[in-house]
Amino acid sequence: MSMEASELQDLSDDADYAASQQQGSASMMRCDSEKRSSSSEHEGAELIYTKDNVAIHPTQFASERISGRLKLTKQDSVLFLSWIPYKGEIPNAKLSDKDRSLYTITAVPFTEVRSIKRHTPALGWQYIIVVLSSGLAFAPLYFYSGGVREFLAIVKQHVFLARSAEDTNVLLVNDFQSPLQRTLSSLELPSSLPVASGQSTYPSDGGGSSNDNRISILSQYGLRKQKSHDPTRDLSIHLLEKFSLVTKFARETTTQLFSENNGFGSIDKRRNNQPVHSYPEKLSNIAEEKHHESSHSYPETDRLDNEEISNDIDVPADPLEFNNLSLVWGKPRQSPMGREEFTAFLDSEGRVVDSKALRKRVFYGGIEHQLRTEVWPFLLGYHAYDSTYAEREYHRSVKKKEYEDLKLQWKSISAEQAKRFTKYRERKGLIDKDVVRTDRAFEYYEGDDNLNVNIMRDILLTYSFYNFDLGYCQGMSDYLSPIMFVMEDESESFWCFVALMERLGPNFNRDQNGMHTQLFALSKLVELLDTPLHNYFKQNDCLNYFFCFRWILIQFKREFEYEKTMLLWEVLWTHYLSEHFHLYVCVAILKRCRSKIMGDQMDFDTLLKFINELSGHIDLDSTVRDAEALCICAGENGAASIPPGTPPSLPLDDGILYPQDDDIL
Amino acid sequence: MSYAYLFKYIIIGDTGVGKSCLLLQFTDKRFQPVHDLTIGVEFGARMITIDNKPIKLQIWDTAGQESFRSITRSYYRGAAGALLVYDITRRETFNHLASWLEDARQHANANMTIMLIGNKCDLAHRRAVSTEEGEQFAKEHGLIFMEASAKTAQNVEEAFIKTAATIYKKIQDGVFDVSNESYGIKVGYGGIPGPSGGRDGSTSQGGGCCG
Repeated sequence: MSMEASELQDLSDDADYAASQQQGSASMMRCDSEKRSSSSEHEGAELIYTKDNVAIHPTQFASERISGRLKLTKQDSVLFLSWIPYKGEIPNAKLSDKDRSLYTITAVPFTEVRSIKRHTPALGWQYIIVVLSSGLAFAPLYFYSGGVREFLAIVKQHVFLARSAEDTNVLLVNDFQSPLQRTLSSLELPSSLPVASGQSTYPSDGGGSSNDNRISILSQYGLRKQKSHDPTRDLSIHLLEKFSLVTKFARETTTQLFSENNGFGSIDKRRNNQPVHSYPEKLSNIAEEKHHESSHSYPETDRLDNEEISNDIDVPADPLEFNNLSLVWGKPRQSPMGREEFTAFLDSEGRVVDSKALRKRVFYGGIEHQLRTEVWPFLLGYHAYDSTYAEREYHRSVKKKEYEDLKLQWKSISAEQAKRFTKYRERKGLIDKDVVRTDRAFEYYEGDDNLNVNIMRDILLTYSFYNFDLGYCQGMSDYLSPIMFVMEDESESFWCFVALMERLGPNFNRDQNGMHTQLFALSKLVELLDTPLHNYFKQNDCLNYFFCFRWILIQFKREFEYEKTMLLWEVLWTHYLSEHFHLYVCVAILKRCRSKIMGDQMDFDTLLKFINELSGHIDLDSTVRDAEALCICAGENGAASIPPGTPPSLPLDDGILYPQDDDIL
Repeated sequence: MSYAYLFKYIIIGDTGVGKSCLLLQFTDKRFQPVHDLTIGVEFGARMITIDNKPIKLQIWDTAGQESFRSITRSYYRGAAGALLVYDITRRETFNHLASWLEDARQHANANMTIMLIGNKCDLAHRRAVSTEEGEQFAKEHGLIFMEASAKTAQNVEEAFIKTAATIYKKIQDGVFDVSNESYGIKVGYGGIPGPSGGRDGSTSQGGGCCG
């Protein structure tokens, strides 16, 4: 399955792409300039500038770069840009002459250049990306000996350069305040995996040693079509589509670097006011390097090797080459955090000094069971991280009293009053029926007259009074069950459940709006992270993603065994990489099954049944690693795919939280 | 296992009326009073034989709570049969039948065969809906009707099989274009031409494999 084939599907309606197919994809990079190639070295062409040691990275591995010479020439007052690879320099057998010529830029006139994006870090490689008016972008040109500023200064002497209002690193060429051109700089290009901290350690002297292969696998995106009528957005889509015509490796490299400034680190920045940062550990982690090397040697054709290809159906390739990706990016899971480690996060009075570090630790390994009772209240937001032991103790006692008062509200309803209180009777009836159908095979709730089942009933009924608008809905008991098992205290369980419902209550809205929002966000993420799979769902009328309904409604409670569910939940509740990490978990599972789904040509019914039957057969650790890789990879574009206020984000405003119908229970 | 036809069934009705228990009794021949409530949908399947033809029933057991109606509606698509279940000991589950029926009529194909089941008929001492009322409702709305008990297995087998027999008859009468899967019927391989060695005539065989 070649990339071209999958793109063919995506781009079949694109005229330019069709044209490119006729020419052969190898000519795409120079299709605009071929006509002029003969004139590029004309007599009369004035040499304005040359720069040696300017390289492109045709693969994800920096060792496989192609070095060459960058030139600016001028003829008939038109400035031309060319880049010619050095002859005879084949750094790696994998790069053929064809590859080299593929990237050659032969005398592109600046009249056809729309913008230049520059990247000039204090340390590390400087590069530029040249984007043509047609939307094509050339592979990033690395200035191994520096000099990007000098280059731009010279360009500026000959053409009009204007700094984009939105991104100061984008320089618009010959932009005469055309609104169309101005929007270019607002492109939301796919972000991916910046290796920011890693890059700052790279030699800037142009040494192309084998160590450079750390530059890593990059994400790459196929098409990204946002259903929006925003013309700015349309333009960015247009560019992205063109972008995707650039050959695969070039795209990988380009995409990653183009978006480096707004990569995954900014998720943290956005959500947690933390400085942009990366994983310094990544490069020092021996295990990671090992993975890295193994991925380095992966032959192209092996990328689906741990997926079962079910039959002859041509399954579009995974644009992310997902298997390799997760090996590189999903960090190995750690053992659960123990008491000693937890205590180290606390100051002498019991405050969590660095809540982010604590959440990170939990994200990567979970919590030893005995410790959950202390840590879950933080994760759920019942206790504040900066509370002291004494404050928490006081909080507990106040809340206990409050709980007892709430409970009394329904406890004091007499039989006579209940007769005249249909809503109460109906709710109580529902809850009574459901608590005896919740985890009864699990020891904590098994057996007749189980006290814990009664407590669960009391808590749910109390909650339905505490939050009368939302009331009770099936699925709530699935959430409450592990909370009770962990907290082992009625009032504490109640308040932890309340805290959880602050975020997940919309899952149970009568109009199912919270669920639909999340399913929509999921579809957007799949569109971003696996366009072929998205297209498949679209063609097969599966875009409502109802087959993931149970996953999201109760956050995989029915998919994993009890202990694993608790582990997954605490990982999700850290909101460490994303508040919506559960959606990336969905994508991760779907991607693992993508060849099966598409290979078997599953329709909606078959797919729903297939997904249902995955229950009990999903490996949690590898799924979380996959999801982590996807989340990092999606970066800001992932975050942008998820509409504001999508649960479990807190609601946007303080309006009516739980819309009521007239005829409700 | 090869089959002449595959019928998609959907079980609908208020929460707690015994939908999952009916399914389990039919597929596994057992009653499990303690089981987890259904979230979304669960699946069951069983082979039966009608007119010496092996027929596979693929049964969708749905969540009953009102909040999930919008999701449940998407499951009707392509169902050949529906079991609409109420609890004879809870009047309100009978009162809600009309709204379930409205959903079914709106979202399923018009030729879907609907069987109305008054479940928990073993609890006669707590009966809140008379058999006659059930019959009357069924008659008014053109449904097949039975009272059954998932607990004692009374009429469970019959309910599923009678529904299948009705669908089968509709096929014989040419009501369906069986090549059109939106009717919830798939033609299988094996067994369609003539008697295929069906083991026990018009009753069932096999058990609770999912598939």
